[in-house]
This record gives sequence, structure tokens and C-alpha cells, in this order.
Amino acid sequence: MRIVATVIVALIVSVAGVLAGAWWAPFVAGLVIGVMQPRARFAIPAGAGIGLLGWALPLAAVQIQYGAGSAAESLAAIMGFSHQAAIPVVLTLLVGTLLGLCGAWLGSAARSLVQPAPSR
Amino acid sequence: MIAALIVTAAVLYAAFFGAGPLPALGAAFNPVTGAWTMAADASISSETLRLAGLDQPVKVTFESDGTAHIVAQTDHDLFLATGYVHARFRLFQMDLLRRQGEGRLSEVVGKAALDSDRFELQLGLLRTAQLEWNAASPRSREAGIAYAQGVNDRITEAEAAHQLPAMFTLLGYQPKPWAPIDSLIVKGDMTQTLNFTDTPLVMALLEKSLGADLTSQWFPILPPNPQSPYDPGPYPAQAPPAPIAAVSQVSDSEAVAAADVYQRLSSLPAGLVATGGDSNNWAVAGSRSTSGGALMAGDPHLHLTLPAIWYQLTMDSPGYHVSGVSIPGTPVILIGHNQHISWSLTDAQNQQTFFYLEHEDSAHPGQYLWNGAWKSYQTVSYDIPVLGGPTDHLTVKLSVHGPVITERGQTTSVWWAGNIPSQDLDVLMGIDQASDYQQFRDALRGWYSPTHNFVYADDKGNIGLISAGYYPQLGAGAQPWLPMAGTGEYDVAGTIPYDDIPQVYNPPDGIIWSANQRQVTADYPYYIGTASNFFDPGYRANEIHRVLSQGAKLSAADMMALQTDTRDYLASEMVPILLKALPSSASKDLLSTWDYRMEINSPAATIWWTFWQSYLAATFDPYWKSRDVKVARSELNDALGQDLEAWTLGDPTNSAFTYGGSSNTSSDVMRIAFTSTISTLTKQLGSDPNTWTWGRVHQRVIENLAQVTGLNYGPRPDRGDANTPLAAPNFPSSNGPSWRMVVDWGAGTFQAIYPGGQSENPASAWYDDRVNTWFDGKYAAMLTADQASGASGSKAWTLQP
Repeated sequence: MRIVATVIVALIVSVAGVLAGAWWAPFVAGLVIGVMQPRARFAIPAGAGIGLLGWALPLAAVQIQYGAGSAAESLAAIMGFSHQAAIPVVLTLLVGTLLGLCGAWLGSAARSLVQPAPSR
Repeated sequence: MIAALIVTAAVLYAAFFGAGPLPALGAAFNPVTGAWTMAADASISSETLRLAGLDQPVKVTFESDGTAHIVAQTDHDLFLATGYVHARFRLFQMDLLRRQGEGRLSEVVGKAALDSDRFELQLGLLRTAQLEWNAASPRSREAGIAYAQGVNDRITEAEAAHQLPAMFTLLGYQPKPWAPIDSLIVKGDMTQTLNFTDTPLVMALLEKSLGADLTSQWFPILPPNPQSPYDPGPYPAQAPPAPIAAVSQVSDSEAVAAADVYQRLSSLPAGLVATGGDSNNWAVAGSRSTSGGALMAGDPHLHLTLPAIWYQLTMDSPGYHVSGVSIPGTPVILIGHNQHISWSLTDAQNQQTFFYLEHEDSAHPGQYLWNGAWKSYQTVSYDIPVLGGPTDHLTVKLSVHGPVITERGQTTSVWWAGNIPSQDLDVLMGIDQASDYQQFRDALRGWYSPTHNFVYADDKGNIGLISAGYYPQLGAGAQPWLPMAGTGEYDVAGTIPYDDIPQVYNPPDGIIWSANQRQVTADYPYYIGTASNFFDPGYRANEIHRVLSQGAKLSAADMMALQTDTRDYLASEMVPILLKALPSSASKDLLSTWDYRMEINSPAATIWWTFWQSYLAATFDPYWKSRDVKVARSELNDALGQDLEAWTLGDPTNSAFTYGGSSNTSSDVMRIAFTSTISTLTKQLGSDPNTWTWGRVHQRVIENLAQVTGLNYGPRPDRGDANTPLAAPNFPSSNGPSWRMVVDWGAGTFQAIYPGGQSENPASAWYDDRVNTWFDGKYAAMLTADQASGASGSKAWTLQP
């Protein structure tokens, strides 16, 4: 339960940070998860998930409030991928995911330096 | 640990700083504050907003197509709100325009824009704007300051809400505050686009390669072809200009200098140098209209972009009640109507750019000879920040004539009317407030550059046309169509007196028209420019004059039909002669039944246009090749076309047809060109002439201003050509009627359209929503603020102090 609560809090902090303009919040949340959780095989996917949702939920809010389709098409055109609106969506989610994942990975690696992972 | 550090560092670097062509990914794609904000920005709702600097509440009503109606209780608030509204929908465009004029594009796009920046700082829009602002009238100062406050209110608001236009986010910079001088820079951009020309350099290169004799014959002052000047005189008594003499010799060093500047100008982005005009306007007196009131039509032709150069609005305050289009970045309406008068403009095309060869001597370094004395150049230094590179340092030398534009071969400076500090903003405010022709004409007295044909109609049935602006007059013996000696004797000595410039008011036949043609006949006593590349060949003007002078009473619908008229006047002159020269063929049959209209489904239109290009090539290319002319022949087609037209109509044995000792006449060359035409089209479009429709070869594209091709509209097949009132030059055509307006004062109707939308945001429904209406030749009513408030789909902002 404590693990789940930690992840939920990290996710809330991440989303709140992104909504406040701190796009790097998932990285920090992932870093905290990585440091706190002794098992990297759990911490890193969790960090990635937090990063993904940390950016996906605000993007979903944009879609619900204003409709993001036209913006996605425009961004795709600017990026040189006209008529492929999925590309900026995927890229956006990928950035969020990578931020969370890298945060968690770095946190886990740092933790392993000072406290080796417990044996099975 | 090392792998984690390396990967994390790479991800964070890309997120914070970007990588290669990618922007900083974190900031750019953040769903809340990144480029995705264009989704929220595209959504407009009725709301109350607070604006610093307002004195009283202001109401802004938006029609369903985004046309804005600003109603303010003070003139100050009107200009402030206009600045806010402009910035709300066009901030990135405004920033690009001022950066272009100020030579600061490299700061945000890198060294690709450095040539443009260096040229602009050399030319001096920034210096001129500073002088203009220092001398601005109290009225225009107040407007400029209030407008800047409104723009800055929006910048502050957008930054606080993380809602700057997406292009700022993607390019990774924030706009600096707007200053009143920026509005003058934006106006300077337009002046440069319309009136800064390189024709004297072209003429120098022609004289050096083609030869003085042919240059003087083929590029005369007065047009060789039949034209329709709108001001037939009588003119003030003074000797008319002398013909271009063939004795002038361009030295090697002068040719090197001309070639250097010409090459440099040619490599600049399109639009920085004027390359001929394409605009129409005309008016019909109440006595000639079905409604009994004056009619007026105007369609300025410019580079068609998304967002458009225009933003449509009405401005209401105690001092102003005006409706029309403004240029984002400037606080006034440039083309439109108020309660009593309407106006539109075309470029007058007279020569406003002169090049001077400075006389230097190794014994007087850093000096030039002028009026018998050695003068030192002034210098101005600039630092140009360059994204991703070192700051560029530029020192500009200034002679009495203007900035030194090259020191290769021969030091050459340029005198340009756009560098004369003017009060054009004050003039436009005067026009916006004028209620009769006298006030309109008086306001225009202070207009310098670009020289425009201002057409006028009013609620009393009066019409007028005045080609307001600066008409430089030079010392005796000057040859302004070439670079001239800068030693003083050929300096600009003044301008044509205002009462003597081309103008008409309530002409007897009740019609007036301009389409960039030479406004006056051969009897006009002043030099205003040559037929080459200054004035239009006159085909649109001839066609407009032909339609307007047919005698029947005219309506607003007739005005609209003429604005979208695709009849090629040159074709109507040439094709009958061509048909006489040709043997029978399927292609000839198509031409023989053609109505000279450049419609999408017309194969004859394709045959005609291709033939005319072939005819020009067959006549002139042998000279170009044998004499190694350094100016592309195609660049001079307007001027050479006038010659070819005149020879074909009245001088079919002109020696130009007999290159290489042949005995060819125009008919012989026409047959050669037609054979080439059929061969070309067969290769390009197949063997059946019936399938050679104009739409297969002629398309229109409306280009994104930031050159993002994915955000262009088109290309799509379109009608018209360079000679038709519905102008569509080039392939694909990206220039044309940027705004069509038709006014019927008798019926009280005002209708208009432009090919674009009110918002620069590509995610907005107002990005390109007017384009299809424009393509279809339809118009929208120009509503008043009251009418807009009651219109379905309208939204309103209340702007509170």
C-alpha cells in the first residue's frame, strides 16, 4: 500500500507541476521514486508511467476543454509531417515518458551506489 | 550508474536546449505551456478582460469570421484596444515584420537571415523610423504610444498565462516589448516592398552587355504600346522629358558595382525589392451607376500569405468611425471607408530609387567629392546577434545621397524616397477622418512613399483619383534610369508640385481607374520613370477601362465581376493577328473560338500563354545569348512584351525580328514560336490539345508567412494570369488580390473579402476560413459594430481599465 501511495502522490505532484508550467516535474517525481524504491525493476517502469501520465493527463485536459486535433495537425505540419497528427501526440507522450523514466533510472542508480538492492 | 547518467543527460539536454533542428522539447511540447497552447488560443469566447492603460471600458465584438469591431469612448482607448486585438491574433507576424525591418531576424532564425539583416540595416529603415518618430505629430505620437501599450498589454498577459503564440515557443524566444517606432518600421517594410527598385542597376548591366543602342530602343521612357492613362491632362506648361539617349556609356567599374548590388539584391528573400506592381482600383460616378450613388472598387495585389498582410476591423470612437483593413503592427486602417468617403490604393510605380556613383580619390581616404568639396562619409555601426553563431558587426557608410550599398568596382550609394522621414501615419489618420474630397486631398499632401494611386468615392456621388507621393526631380541632364555621378549635379532637387502630380476629380465620363499603369500621357512635362520595370505594361488598366467605358450603367455586381475578370487584354490584341499567320490546326481552332478568358478549363488559355512566352523567346533570346546579357531575359518580359506588342500591332518588319541577317517579319517569328509552343505542350501535357487546360499548368498557392509549407493553402488550379484584372502571375502564383472591396454609396453597401483569416494560429478556425470564399469570387458584407453585435455567432469582449 505504501508503494502505491507513493506512486499516486508522485503522479499527483507530477501532474500538478506540469499544469503549473514545470514540465520537468515528472523527472523530479521519477527521481524521488527511484531513490525511495529499492527495486529498480519496479521504480523505473513506475517512473516511466508517472512521466507518461504526467504529460498525458494535461494533454487529455486540453483535448476535453478545447479539442487538440487541429493543434496536433498544425504541429505535425510545422514538424514537416502534414496530415499525420499522431506524430506530435506520440512525441509529446514520449518526452513525458522519457523524463519520468530517466528520473527513476538515475534515482535507482544513485541509490544502488550507497545501498545495494536487496537480494530476492 | 554511468549509463543512467549519460542517457539522462542526453534526455535533459534535448528537453532543455533542443537538439539539431529540434526545439527545446520540454518547453516546446509541454501540454500546458508549450505549443499545445495553440488549442486554447484558437478558442474565443465572450469575456471581460482587464487592460492596463485604458481610460474607459471598450467593447470588442467579433463576427463569426473574426472581423473585429472596436468601440471605444476615447480615441486613446481605440488605439490601445486596436493594439491589443492585433497582438491577440497576429503577435508573431508583427514581431517578424519589425524584425525584418530592424535587421533582427538572425537573432531568432540564425545566419540564414544574416544577408537580409545586413541589407536592411544598410538601407536604413530603422534610422528613418527613428527620425520619423522624433518628428511625429502629437496626434500620431498619441496613437503610436497607445497602440504600443495595447500590444504590450497582450504580451504581458500572454506571458503570464503561458499563451504566447506557438511559434515563439518552438523558436525558443519571447517577444520584446512593442515600441511606437516598431509601427513605423512595419510601415517601412511595406514601403520597401512596393517602391525600392533595382531598375537603374538592371539598365546599367543591359547597357554594358546588350549595348547602348538596343537598350535605349527597347527600354524607353514612354511606353511603346497603347495604354490607358487615367489623367489625360491638360498638364502644366513645361517641356516633357527627353527620350533616353543612346550615348551614355557604362564603365567597367560601374558595371562591376551594378552587378555586385544586383546580385546581392537578387539573393535576398522575395519581397524586399519591388518587382512590378499588380493592383487595381477604380470608381464610377453616381451619374453612371444603377444605384445613383458612386461606386468604388479596390483590390491591392500583394504576396498572398497566411496569415494575410491584412487584419479586418472597424474602429469607432469620438474621433473615428472607420471600417476596412489594417496592417498588424500599425494603428490605422489603410484601406476602407468611413461614414462619408471610401478609398483604396494601387502602387503608383514612379521611380523613387536612384543610385549614385561616389567619386573617390586615394589622396582623400574616407571621403567623396560632392559639389566641389571633399566630404567625409558618416558611419553607423550595428551589432547583429546571430542565433547559434557569433554576433555580426556591420558598419554602414552614408553619403549625402544615402547609404553606400557597395564598394566593389565603384562606391555606390542609394537615394530612396522611403528614407525620407515622412508623416505617413498622420496622413492615414487624416484620411480615416476625412469627410469630403478636399479633406482627403489635403491629408494626402503629406504622403511621400510609397507613391500610391488613391482612389476616392463619397456619399455625394463624387469620385477622384490622386497619385500621392514624392516624385523626385533631378538636376538638368540627369539620366536617372542609370546609376549617376554623385558629385552633386544630378542630386534630387525636389519633387513635382502637389497640384501638378497625376490626379482627376469628377471626370466628365464618370469613370476613373488605375492598375499600376503610367498615369499620364506623353505630354506630361515631368520625368516620373521609364516604361521598364517601373510602370505596368497596362493590360489590366486597358481591360478595366474597356469594361467601364462601355456605356451602360454599372452596379456593385458589375464591380465584383470586373475584379474577378479573367479576360487577357493582350491576348485580345495578339490572337487575331496570330490566327492570320497560322495554317489550319486543332490548336488554331481552339484559339479561334476563344473568348480570351484565362479560365481553369480553357485549353486555349494554355496555348496562348505558352505561345506568348515562346514569341518573346524567339524574338529576344538570340540577342541575349550572343551578347551574354547578365540579366535574365524573363525578368524583363514586361518591358520587352510592350515592345513586341507594339511591333506586332504596327511595325511587323522591325529589325528586332531579323536577327542574324534573316528577313523575318513578326508573322514569321509568330509561326516559329507557335510551332515551338505545340511541341512544348505536347511533351508536357500530351498530344490532344483539348486536354491542355489552364488549370493543369496554372496553380495558386497561399504561403505560410513563416515558410512552413505544411501550413500553406494549396497549390490548387486557378484562373487568371499576370495580365488579367484577376491577377495571378507566376507558376504557381503566390501574388494576387490581397483584399477585394466594393462600395456602392447609392445602395449603402460595403462588401469585401481577403484570402486568409483573422488569426495567425493555424489551429484556429480563423486561420484560412476566408480563402475558399475568395477563390469563389464571393464577398462578405462589411458590417458596422451595431450590426455585428446582433449577428449570429458573434462574440464580445469587454475590456475594462
